Amino acid sequence: MATRSGETFHEKTKGKDVRTSNIIAAKAVANAVRTSLGPRGMDKLMELSNGEVLISNDGATILSKMNVLHPAAKMLVELSQSQDIEAGDGTTTVVVVAGALLEACASLLSKGIHPMAIASSFVKAAEKATQILESVAKPVDLKDRSQLIAAVNTCLSSKVVSQNSDLISPIAVDSVLGVIDNPDTAINVDLRDIRMVEQVGGTIDDTELVNGLVFKKGSTKSAGGPSQISNAKIAMIQFCLSAPKTDMDNNIVVSDYAAMDRILRDERKYLLGICKKIKKSGANVLLIQKSILRDAYNELSLHFLAKMGILVVTDVERSDVEFICRTLGCQPVAHVDSLSKDKLGEAEHVGDVVMPGSGHKVVKFTGVKNPGKTMTVLLRGSNNLVLAEANRSIHDAQCVVRSLVKKRFLIAGGGAPEVEVSLRLKEYALGLTGMDSYCIKAFAEALETIPYTLAENAGMRPIDCVTELRKQHVEGNTGAGINVKKNVVSDMYDLNVLQPLLVSTSAINLATETVCMILKVDDLVVVQ
Amino acid sequence: MSAPTADGTGLFIQGQRESGQDVRTGNVTAALAVANIVKTSLGPVGLDKMLVDDIGDVLITNDGATILAQLEVEHPAARVLVDLAQLQDSEVGDGTTSVVIVASELLRRSNELVKSGIHPTTIISGLRTALKQAVKFLKKNMVMKVSELNDDHLLMAAKTSMSSKIIGKEGEFFAQMAVDAVKSVGMKATMADAAGLENMIHSAASTSQDAKEGEKKVKMKYPLSAIHILKAHGKSALESHFIKGGFAINAMRAAQGMPTAVEGSVEEPIKIAFLDMNLQRHRMAMGVQVVVKDPAEIENIKKREMDITKERITKIIENGAKVVLTTKGVDDLCMKYFVEAGIICARRCNKDDLKRLAKATGGKLVVTMADMDGNETFDPDCLGKCTAVREERIGDGEMLYVHGCQGSGASTIVLRGANEYMLDEMDRALHDSLCVIKRMLESSTLVCGGGAVEAALSVHLEEYATTLHTREQLAIQEFADALLIIPKTLAVNAAKDSSELVAKLRASHAKSQKADATEEEKALKNIGLDLVEGAIRDNLAAGVVEPAISKIKSLRFATEAAITILRIDDRITLAKGQQQ
Repeated sequence: MATRSGETFHEKTKGKDVRTSNIIAAKAVANAVRTSLGPRGMDKLMELSNGEVLISNDGATILSKMNVLHPAAKMLVELSQSQDIEAGDGTTTVVVVAGALLEACASLLSKGIHPMAIASSFVKAAEKATQILESVAKPVDLKDRSQLIAAVNTCLSSKVVSQNSDLISPIAVDSVLGVIDNPDTAINVDLRDIRMVEQVGGTIDDTELVNGLVFKKGSTKSAGGPSQISNAKIAMIQFCLSAPKTDMDNNIVVSDYAAMDRILRDERKYLLGICKKIKKSGANVLLIQKSILRDAYNELSLHFLAKMGILVVTDVERSDVEFICRTLGCQPVAHVDSLSKDKLGEAEHVGDVVMPGSGHKVVKFTGVKNPGKTMTVLLRGSNNLVLAEANRSIHDAQCVVRSLVKKRFLIAGGGAPEVEVSLRLKEYALGLTGMDSYCIKAFAEALETIPYTLAENAGMRPIDCVTELRKQHVEGNTGAGINVKKNVVSDMYDLNVLQPLLVSTSAINLATETVCMILKVDDLVVVQ
Repeated sequence: MSAPTADGTGLFIQGQRESGQDVRTGNVTAALAVANIVKTSLGPVGLDKMLVDDIGDVLITNDGATILAQLEVEHPAARVLVDLAQLQDSEVGDGTTSVVIVASELLRRSNELVKSGIHPTTIISGLRTALKQAVKFLKKNMVMKVSELNDDHLLMAAKTSMSSKIIGKEGEFFAQMAVDAVKSVGMKATMADAAGLENMIHSAASTSQDAKEGEKKVKMKYPLSAIHILKAHGKSALESHFIKGGFAINAMRAAQGMPTAVEGSVEEPIKIAFLDMNLQRHRMAMGVQVVVKDPAEIENIKKREMDITKERITKIIENGAKVVLTTKGVDDLCMKYFVEAGIICARRCNKDDLKRLAKATGGKLVVTMADMDGNETFDPDCLGKCTAVREERIGDGEMLYVHGCQGSGASTIVLRGANEYMLDEMDRALHDSLCVIKRMLESSTLVCGGGAVEAALSVHLEEYATTLHTREQLAIQEFADALLIIPKTLAVNAAKDSSELVAKLRASHAKSQKADATEEEKALKNIGLDLVEGAIRDNLAAGVVEPAISKIKSLRFATEAAITILRIDDRITLAKGQQQ
């Protein structure tokens, strides 16, 4: 039988097998997280190899812990991570989209279309999809807090903390807005400027946004000393408040009994000298960085500091020093001689606060003068699992706000954009001929998986739902989406179910790229 | 290393994956198994568990949290329940058993609903609605605000919490002791607590009006850590005693030559020094080497080593200390100086005890004697004051009793009992009661116990469920039914007819909740179980009460835990130890 070159694609069976196996493996990953998509999605319980237990609904978290073996499946895991980095939200969506696209590929391949042709058409389709999404998106003003909160609410609706979104959403929005310099010009946000402090005990409702700083533990009071200081002058020191140690190989040799007294007295004098210098600089709150080589402090120095009425917080992590200094407007001091007034930060009040419930103490800094652009969120939760999940959820919520800072457009949620893109792509495909038309149509249909899955997870009839959506979108209702609360199709803009444009565009683009990559693989060589 | 498994979906992971209904059923079964363990220990007639660990240590207890903490629970869902009990223990202190039972019952019933085709998320939102409604109703109708809390209420609550424990028989005696103890440590809240307490009052306050008034009052706190519980075995439980304004520490004189008692008076108090340092021959720090050329120097150095400590001791004695307590060691040599001066000295005391005692006597724990000039002196302000210190013999050991502390905020309960296990269990029971009293003093609201609240909520929620048109209705109804597990279990444990009792209970609560209920009928809301008689009675009159905050909290915790487990539809177990 004569083959017409270019029309159909024949190749060695090996390439086909590899591709099929890759597609199956990747699809399995997508299926694994599918049930956690959307507000009615379920959680996964994972027992990690070290015995730790994790309960999560976040696609990126689940996949990263799952330890998949197949290389193609690993690509999907990485896909969800890159979505996490890029947009922070939609990590499940991106994997589900990729799974659907792969499914479409499988049927296109079986028709004998060359993988490269599929890939190039998909890339075109993705570009077109981005354009379509941009055309339906509505611009958002960062000053419009209520709209930002609406977007965050949408993101949180699928999380464990969704019941507390009234409280969490404003916290997420305010924390991100608090760290950007100028809402009009900012193009990105560094989420590291927001510090999350977890404290077990209480409920999620007790979570608060602290304008200032909170440490994980209380002040060090083993030698007495104050636990509350008003009009605090804060010094962040990196030197040690303990007697200098000799090197390993060296020894102090005492050959005279008077020398023993001298050593003891000198140790006291030495520490007293340092403490007096600290006091002289005007500092009444002292943060001491953790030290490995030497004790960062000892009983004697704490005793002196306590007598001088200086509040001491010890064991400050080195990595936190920069953040703390920026927040409090102080400068880290590496030697006691360089400690001076201008290096101190000021706060109205510094003191221990007893956490209700657990009874733990934390040090709180409030009323910081010249605060830097940083924020602290004090997270509470009844146990570590809830706390960790709440932390991830708030992170996602903050990412949503960040996406809006990066790209200031909002689109409807609830599957509305996917249906709209799918419809418009199909129209676009009708105007094309050849492979492109065929592949783009398949791409368009694959996108409908999102509303389909949303409806399925919500316990609705997926086919009824998707067809209803199509109808409404054809009639020009671009905001029509799935209302999981009432189990009907309704206008998402009316319900304030909104999501950042960046989440959707990046999900489609990243998923397409990954699918193209998997398509291009035709051989799998195992190197020992 | 286990081989990678594919579970039919083509997902290759190193481990196992279960999903859908299997997981849910598995989780619910595990949770029920945990609850079943503690079920029989609920209530005044609940029985105890004897736990034997792998080295043969025995623990006998009735406390849910303690039982669960001892079990090595493997199943992650079951562990959520164990955590739940721990949380209830730390947040409320009492009601650990009931919270686990309610959570597992909620799970069991929810699972049945899922099996009959209702989506878990619908059930979850139903449970949440039910919880909200329940808390609302509880705050509005069931909570009794005790504006001027008197000892009777506290005694009642303490007795209720003790009734299920080993000391229940002597409830009257121990309740009085617990109330006295908590009241004796009351102190004004410090700044640090203020923020915390504010939240508590908010969540506990029933009506906003009353809450405002409550806030204006000086906030008091009752740090339970200031109550020192000592266990000494021997004699009977009834010979336990409470030392008001006194403190006993588990330590004895360091040397026989010291006096067994020093007596003083209010005007001429005994001074006590609290040290957190060694009174031993001084040793140089690491890295300091003693090298002598002249043999005569050895003597000098030895002498100096002794003198350094001797000087310290002299300074302490000069300041008038009659009793010296240290957390570290005292060697025989130094003891000599104390014996000569007629001072009681005790070594290796517990540091926390000393801190508390220091607070109680108005002294300070001294870590170092260095002063601001770089010399060594002893600050007389660090000395605590009391009227007498005696060494008394209790059981097999001796204890130092410090009487008439001049500071505030510390007292001691000495528990006596026939054996170690009993003492431990008494300690736990007393701890629960102390927590209850503390909660009541802090929030001053109470509800009736004995299943009254659960029955009332159940009746109310059932009524409420019928006003809803959505599928959540079913979940709320199940929530209502699940609450009845408490009165049911109480009755079953007491070997009474649970069906009949619960029916009676519900009937009277239904009557009290009628829209046109008369005053007389409204009072029926306090009807609870009388487990001794096997009848129903007015539990407010009978004095079975609990702090409202613990009821509200345990409802919240139980629901949250149930929801956490219910949301899971996939369980992935990764094979152990295959990290590269």
